[in-house]
Amino acid sequence: MKALLIIGSPRGKASASRALGGHLLRRLEAGGLEVEEMSVAAVLGSSERRHDLYRATDAADILIVAFPLYVDQLPAPLIQTLELLAERRRGAMGMTPWPGPLVQRLVAIVQCGFPETHQNRPAVDIMRQFAKEAGFRWAGGLALGMGGAVGGRSLEKAGGMLRNVVAALDKTAKSLIAGGDVPDKATAMMAKPLMPRWFYHAAANWGFRNQLKKHGARKKAFDRPYA
Amino acid sequence: MNVLILDGGPRDGRGAACRRVAAAAAEEARGRGHAVSAFAPDGMAIKPCQGCFACWLKHPGTCAIQDDEEPILRALAAADILVWITPVAFGGYGPALKKALDRVIPNVLPYFATRQGEAHHPLRYVRRRALLVLGTLPVADPEAERIFHHLAGRNAINLASVRTESLVVHGGDGDGSAGRVREMLAAAEGAL
Repeated sequence: MKALLIIGSPRGKASASRALGGHLLRRLEAGGLEVEEMSVAAVLGSSERRHDLYRATDAADILIVAFPLYVDQLPAPLIQTLELLAERRRGAMGMTPWPGPLVQRLVAIVQCGFPETHQNRPAVDIMRQFAKEAGFRWAGGLALGMGGAVGGRSLEKAGGMLRNVVAALDKTAKSLIAGGDVPDKATAMMAKPLMPRWFYHAAANWGFRNQLKKHGARKKAFDRPYA
Repeated sequence: MNVLILDGGPRDGRGAACRRVAAAAAEEARGRGHAVSAFAPDGMAIKPCQGCFACWLKHPGTCAIQDDEEPILRALAAADILVWITPVAFGGYGPALKKALDRVIPNVLPYFATRQGEAHHPLRYVRRRALLVLGTLPVADPEAERIFHHLAGRNAINLASVRTESLVVHGGDGDGSAGRVREMLAAAEGAL
């Protein structure tokens, strides 16, 4: 079996999306799958990489799309990439929706900086609709709030705060390897807050103030250049 | 009032329905005495957001990328009524509209505030605004349209919109949308 990870974050390898999707990919690899990963930014950068994406997508048994929430849904380059994939698959059969057998599974991983996991819901719904229109079997979505706490670091080194995230990804890998979908329990574990909401809120605002100070921009934080 | 129209349709034939809706919206808004700023992002040099957050943390309020997004940010800051038009893409917005929207974060502040019980970023340019979102689909798709309306509602919370309307136009040509656009504009004016 083969698994392909598509990273929808413009931050690529330094992103939380890659940390999450990469962890799942490594677990699949440890379970005997052949794995490959691509970033949307690279795919859209050249026609050669686009063809690499088509080749890898055709060959994949499991497609994992990991991305950050941008303005309540998918980042623009990822939408463009999914449109390319869907148009190509529709074109191959000259029909829509996809009439072929739904063999390839699609998993979405979405994370947002807001503390509420439910803010990711439209993004998960869009990915499910993409699966339907492009002919993938929807295997489920893992949505995470407080994504700012994940950062771009390896989950193995993140410690106890991310234990539910790691467990959710591990359960998902086990199920996918066995031919299943994202377990409901994994979805629920991923959705659990990483810390109390008030604490995340306060820590994020402290972090913003700190970064502004570091860049000498604290007094400009409320500037209104277009007023 | 200031009306900002973003026509997110592709420049080619696939964007015809969006162009018709955008033209109807502009004509109706001007006819009602509003100042209209209209942009078609697909034909503009707008690079994707890099997620660098420099617009919050290094030079607050301005993007690190200097390109055609800036006039949209200026118009957004001054807008009372936002009109977004897009082909429905898997229930969401198409990439042309979305590339413009992904770059609007200079117009919000980095900090978290609570709005409708959720964390959101405060607006850098506080103003009572209304949001009208129009999607186009060749044929009806109830699930895609449910997602689209839900998404517009989520955007409304993010933007602190005081009145939000969303509509999906079918048939591929956008004809017949003028009447609905008129109703939506009237609803927005009434709320503002």
